[in-house]
Amino acid sequence: MQYCTACQKAPATIVIMDLTEGAVTGSQHVCAACAEQMGVVQQKLPPKFSPELLEDLLGGLKGNKPTRPQKSEACPGCGMSPTEFRSKGRLGCPRCYETFRHDLMPLLQRIHEAQSHRGRLPARVAQPVPAPEEDRSLAELRRRLEDAVRGERYEEAARLRDDLRRAERGEGAKS
Amino acid sequence: MSKGRRGDKPPEFRPGAWLLGTGPEHDIAICTRARLARNLQGFRFSPCLDEAEARDLYGTIVSRLQKPGLPDALAVVDLESIDELERSVLVERHLISRELAAKTRASGVAVDPDESVALMINEEDHLRVQVFAPGLQTEEVWRRTERLDNALIQRLPMAWSEEFGFLTSCPTNTGTGLRLSVMLHLPGLVWSEEIDKATNVAQKIHLAVRGLYGEGSRALGDFYQVSNQVTLGRDESQIQSDVFLAVGRIVQWEREVREALLRGSARTRTLDRIHRALGVLERAQILTSEEALGCLSALRFGIEEELLRDFRVADVNRALLLSQPGHLQRHTRERLQPEERDQRRAQLLREVLGCTP
Repeated sequence: MQYCTACQKAPATIVIMDLTEGAVTGSQHVCAACAEQMGVVQQKLPPKFSPELLEDLLGGLKGNKPTRPQKSEACPGCGMSPTEFRSKGRLGCPRCYETFRHDLMPLLQRIHEAQSHRGRLPARVAQPVPAPEEDRSLAELRRRLEDAVRGERYEEAARLRDDLRRAERGEGAKS
Repeated sequence: MSKGRRGDKPPEFRPGAWLLGTGPEHDIAICTRARLARNLQGFRFSPCLDEAEARDLYGTIVSRLQKPGLPDALAVVDLESIDELERSVLVERHLISRELAAKTRASGVAVDPDESVALMINEEDHLRVQVFAPGLQTEEVWRRTERLDNALIQRLPMAWSEEFGFLTSCPTNTGTGLRLSVMLHLPGLVWSEEIDKATNVAQKIHLAVRGLYGEGSRALGDFYQVSNQVTLGRDESQIQSDVFLAVGRIVQWEREVREALLRGSARTRTLDRIHRALGVLERAQILTSEEALGCLSALRFGIEEELLRDFRVADVNRALLLSQPGHLQRHTRERLQPEERDQRRAQLLREVLGCTP
């Protein structure tokens, strides 16, 4: 068994390969925690990049975990329980809107006599908003990277990591 | 009895946009305020944040606000770096809420030099954008708020959905996140005991009526804040026109009852009430802030209806603010016990109003 070259404590489970024009120019064996620190694998994705897909992915890996939270479950975004939501009347994160939908809809109806939004949205603001789109493409790259790592397709993972870094620097992905 | 005007005002005193005493319908409408509730993607809502996340969020927002290009020049006040007294001064100036003043973790407020814009950071929502203008100016205030919000959206990834609009911690703000409020001085409706009727009518058309310092506060000095209750299912311009029309009607109602209070036998009772209030302001040695607000309200009524000619509304507005506990203690540059405060308040009000008994 090979140990992580970064922390030299945990067993290496991930190989990061550096590719230059298709040729392997270096490689590094790291553990999951170090890979996460290096930004190659993100264990706890913040809710902004496609949490549903991540959950699908984790649900698939863990077996028969349902992808949609049940009514009695805590919010996967913030851990707020249905009881807590009902007693405080406050939502804990953007995902709570889906998690507590069942309780929320009649509440919104009571407060506003309406259940859906009319009015401004960032996407409709006169000038185009670069951030969400940028975030979407970054999220997509991260997701593909994670997929590749989990599928042990390391060559693809290294390429995606480079794309992701370029995209994060605002240079645009090549793939 | 002679009344003079004090020429030299305390150097640190500026009234703030909400208390300029100008703008349309300024005899009754003190100020218009728009408030937007906004949250950032990638962070849990404020009530769920731990201390480290709250600090991270605070740092993110402050650094983005400091990038050039915002329509207003904002200076950030870090609330952790100021004491309780300075915080209460900010509350009394309507720049921060009492909830934010009570926070013990990373939080702050970004204010423009005129105090017409105040962005609360890490209140119940990550950002609470506030824009103020004197008088009844819902359309102008909304236009300015929209411009600022556009600039904020360009630099901060806000949490939203097609279905629910802007996502907020409390479902009462979901959708537009817009609360448009007008602070009204309604002594006529209070004195003629029609205020409950007016409040009920307002509530029937989904407007909230609150006291001087917002939610849960009492209507001291006959000041009331009227605002939209609904934030979901109506767009911003509908909300703007709802509030504008409803407030216009309340202003009209107040004018009518004031007229009635100054006609026939009611006139003497009204004059008596105003002059008694003036007598207290001129002679009292101990004044609680509640009593002071009541007297100042009567005085303001008298000035607006041209019953008292030796006073100016601007001085009454200054007196309103300076008689609040935070401002009073900052003015006297010492911490005072409540009884000492009440003595200083009586003295200070005479100075500000130019009463020399």
